[in-house]
Amino acid sequence: MNPLRIALPKGRLQNETLAAFGAAGYDIPGEAELRTRKLVFVRDGIEWIFVKDGDVPVYVEHGAADAGVAGLDQILEHESTAYQPVEFPFGRCRMMLIAAPGAPPLTKVATKYPRITRQYLESKQLRAEIVPLSGSVELAAVLNLTSHVVDLVETGETVRVHQLEMQDLIAEISPRLIVGKHAYRTESKRIRGLIARLSPSPAASRHPLPATRGEGDSRETFLPATRGEGDSRETLLPACGEKVPEGRMRGYFATFTPSTMATMA
Amino acid sequence: MATKYRYPTGVRPLLMDEAARRRRIETRFIDVLERAGFAEVVLPIIDYADPYAPLQTRDVSRQSYRFVDREGELVALRSDFTPMAARALAPAIAPGDLPLRVYYRGDVIRCDGSRLGANREMFQIGAEIVGGAATAADIESLRLAADLVRQFGLQPNVVYTDASLIAALPALRPVLSAKRMTDVPRALRPLAEKLVAGTATLEDIGPFAPEAASRLSAIAAALPEFELHLDDFEENAGYYTGVRFRVYDAKSRTTLAQGGRYDNLYERFGTPAAAVGFTFTIDDLD
Repeated sequence: MNPLRIALPKGRLQNETLAAFGAAGYDIPGEAELRTRKLVFVRDGIEWIFVKDGDVPVYVEHGAADAGVAGLDQILEHESTAYQPVEFPFGRCRMMLIAAPGAPPLTKVATKYPRITRQYLESKQLRAEIVPLSGSVELAAVLNLTSHVVDLVETGETVRVHQLEMQDLIAEISPRLIVGKHAYRTESKRIRGLIARLSPSPAASRHPLPATRGEGDSRETFLPATRGEGDSRETLLPACGEKVPEGRMRGYFATFTPSTMATMA
Repeated sequence: MATKYRYPTGVRPLLMDEAARRRRIETRFIDVLERAGFAEVVLPIIDYADPYAPLQTRDVSRQSYRFVDREGELVALRSDFTPMAARALAPAIAPGDLPLRVYYRGDVIRCDGSRLGANREMFQIGAEIVGGAATAADIESLRLAADLVRQFGLQPNVVYTDASLIAALPALRPVLSAKRMTDVPRALRPLAEKLVAGTATLEDIGPFAPEAASRLSAIAAALPEFELHLDDFEENAGYYTGVRFRVYDAKSRTTLAQGGRYDNLYERFGTPAAAVGFTFTIDDLD
């Protein structure tokens, strides 16, 4: 039997993803092994592969991996058709439209997410040129390369440091387990087992809801930032491990599924 | 950019050995199909886009190559045999002709941008049964697709569902499309939970989609070795109205064929007739 192949993201989501699989009882590669250049590990009848977070949906879409963990940002950006059977409680952040205070009207937007940005602009009937960048996107607004930027905001710290302001919430982003349709059909038993182990227990999902925040002002929702233990990176509200119910999703993409995106494109 | 050595994305020539290999596979297919009583129809590579427009979602029409011909009509390169066969056959069939067993072969051209590295020119062989007793035709069709796979020394893994289930249960669309519980009406909650967990049975579906449940139970009884996935569904069912299936190579898990029942397609082209069929993409068969 072929091992199930699971693509895990390097970078922002790596540690918490590994912790989630570890907590689900999977024998996953440890820190030391990950420091070697090795990218493929076979454990527990599963082949774990480590790829750049943005590449996870690509591997899964084309069946090179059966399942993976990817943020909704990457899922939307790749117009992935994969199923999203588990939404993880960690690594939450927001896709925001950001500009300098008193910025000129929206004419150019710098972003790492050109597709999401294009759809957002279309939905708001806004016209602007999209300038694709691959990192430090905020700088584009600071240096007047563009009037606005679209980027992920975790704590809001980068935005504050650069004295920019958040103008609109585009999407609430959470990491998900994604499963290729092909794998779901041909390996349904093993895939279902994987989903069952990673799904939050019914008790956990009955957690009290975090207090609802003001609908109008998105900045309000970025206070206060909490820190994950042993992790130097700041993480966004809600605190790690807290389950955020689907109903709290807001923003333009809240009701989006990959299929509706594809038909809009 | 220089085009002297390149080909357009997704197309390539087949030189001697590869051409011979494809021809061997094709010959074997045709042999099995003709022995099973299927007759060939040859369909044009270019056709007007207009007659198919009502059938096509924006996605489907975007993946076909379309252009304006010299008379100013919008034409498209063949991207799907099934509607073309219905349009070609509908005016030609009399009630006495049914059931009709036909097959077709040739290239389809699709500019499907999302599938990186996917061929855009694909050689396909399709077969369909028009008319006849629906369930018997469904079973014959599924069995034939599996037999064709065995012809090549492969073990078929057949997964099927019914395309009409989502129309009967539209409120479950978000759940089925994510494979995760989301907000559903209270009355559907137990069913949604079972579908997500993979424990739903035909008895659970029965009250909501009695016709689909009875079709599926007849198929399940006749073909117990095939896998029924009740939670499987298409984001867009297209022209499919009944059983919907895919055939994989059990070992490599490659998709070899896909098909299903489309009972309204012929009617659109003038002659009501129910039909079920499947298509193999030959490049996927090794």
